[in-house]
Amino acid sequence: MTRILLSDKLDNCVARWRKAGLTVIGPVKKETSSSYATVEKAADFDFGIVLPDRSIKELFFPQTEPMMGYTIKKQDIATNDFAPPTEERIIFGARPCDASGLAIDDPLFGWDYKDDFWFQRRNETVIVTIACTKADDFCMCTSLKLAPDSTKGSDVLLRPLQNNKGWLVEELTDRGREAFKEISEFLQEGSEQAAPLAVVPEKFNLDSCIAWLKNPENFDSTFWKEISMRCIGCGSCTFLCPTCHCFDFQDEGDTYSGIRRKNWDSCSFSLFTMHTSGHNPRSTQSARWRQRIMHKFNYFPGKFSVNSCSGCGRCTRQCPVDMGITETLQAISTLKP
Amino acid sequence: MSIQEQYKKRVRELLSSGAVKMVIGYQAGTTADRRRPLFIRTPEEAEKLVLDSACIANLSGYLVTEGLLSDEKSVGIFLRPDGIRSINILAAEAQLNPEQVVILGFDGNDKEVTALQGEKARDFSAIIASIKEHAPEAPRNPQLEQIEKMSPKERFAFWQAEFSRCIKCYACRQACPMCYCRRCIVDSNQPQWVNTSSHTLGNLEWNVVRAFHLSGRCVGCGNCDRACPVNIPLRLINAKMAGEVLGAFDHFAGMSETQEPVLASFKKDDSETFIL
Repeated sequence: MTRILLSDKLDNCVARWRKAGLTVIGPVKKETSSSYATVEKAADFDFGIVLPDRSIKELFFPQTEPMMGYTIKKQDIATNDFAPPTEERIIFGARPCDASGLAIDDPLFGWDYKDDFWFQRRNETVIVTIACTKADDFCMCTSLKLAPDSTKGSDVLLRPLQNNKGWLVEELTDRGREAFKEISEFLQEGSEQAAPLAVVPEKFNLDSCIAWLKNPENFDSTFWKEISMRCIGCGSCTFLCPTCHCFDFQDEGDTYSGIRRKNWDSCSFSLFTMHTSGHNPRSTQSARWRQRIMHKFNYFPGKFSVNSCSGCGRCTRQCPVDMGITETLQAISTLKP
Repeated sequence: MSIQEQYKKRVRELLSSGAVKMVIGYQAGTTADRRRPLFIRTPEEAEKLVLDSACIANLSGYLVTEGLLSDEKSVGIFLRPDGIRSINILAAEAQLNPEQVVILGFDGNDKEVTALQGEKARDFSAIIASIKEHAPEAPRNPQLEQIEKMSPKERFAFWQAEFSRCIKCYACRQACPMCYCRRCIVDSNQPQWVNTSSHTLGNLEWNVVRAFHLSGRCVGCGNCDRACPVNIPLRLINAKMAGEVLGAFDHFAGMSETQEPVLASFKKDDSETFIL
């Protein structure tokens, strides 16, 4: 016997969580684009989406965030720090790749400086992940040694029932157990089977790719130029990526008042490494694409012992010129280390 | 022989005779309905070429890649009529020498494509003239008509909602053949003309700046619209602006390689409905 949450009880759960002061968030399709967004009732969810267009990242690391403000008057200067917002949240229906992405970024945001904005949101958010029973041509979690039912980064894992009427509940953390205690009266015991997981074929051999990337001789390989020739240098792949985390500080305002903001930045942009002198150490798009791949599969794991990719496939799925990590690693797989 | 095979043969000829150093075309993509840009440098590589109704992207932007045409050698490129118009604009704006561009023209619908006769952009002027002539009676985008019927307040709310999704990845800019500036105004910070942040104001500023910058220059290829990862209907803005310049100045972008840019030229008989 396992604990089961039936879909027709979800409305009660959402209401209960909201009553308890939680903001309920889930996969939502609005107009022509999907994302993880706030819901008010069960009908607002769209569990049919294989993967929302936008990743879960923005709920923890928004595209723009005020850090500090200043006002200068004749006599005095005042500054104010923007504190991270306080909001207890539950994300219901995260995908395993998205939840994994958050766990991958945790060590980064807590490494030399503890990012309170990230960790406050992490600590105040319960992540209820739904295992995938559908995948598309771009999904590649298995190639990253993850799976359609990975529990990494999740507080609760739900497995869709074979009869499609609800989910099997697997509580993984205390935070998850607490959130589900709140709705325990809507759960029931059952013996229904879980639906089969999505089949996600392995697209490349990660270990052989990493071996090739670690060989310093390959840093200057002509491969980089060939593979990235069609890259147009936009930030779509990095901004949609659940693990890309680079940001820039920008001051907005004038001499008398303004705000310092933390904005998403992208290694695909030519300005990303531009020096004030005008020199750019990554002056070509191929050097920038190499950096993205090296960072994810060589430098990041070198520092944090985990690859900075959870296999969501958004980079390829949304690329205007059909590039992405999959194609690059597939090509590297065929090269001699 | 299918058009694809005809063009493969043509590409091999162009490369083996040395008439061009490279041909920019299409190849198969990740999924059956996707095509990727392809850079063909040897006759053998022509085998990878795919030419069918799924070849939609306007590839002309690759021609202004820094240094590509600076050796004065020619480059072949597969273009639909909208892409050929882009070549005319790039030539008129002194971004490339049209003599260096060998066009492998094609046109078609969502089922099949046909070859267009010609090699240099000017060879296609009759086709472009006919597109202009039929522009007023071409079916209008129903969503655009709907937006035009809105009150200014409703319209502002509509675009505000659309732009709220913008993440400033600049895929629209990077995919656009007309956005060739080495340093875009939004990347200039001395002074900071446009907010770089992706908040309500920053997103509005960016999209409005781009709309104005493309007025009279956009050929409606749809690259920006398709590139947008959050599906903002960018082509509606550009189509609206194209309609405005056509109505006000009888200007249809990309008619010829010597056409004056509409917002950078002045005629004594231009209508002055608002300046004085």
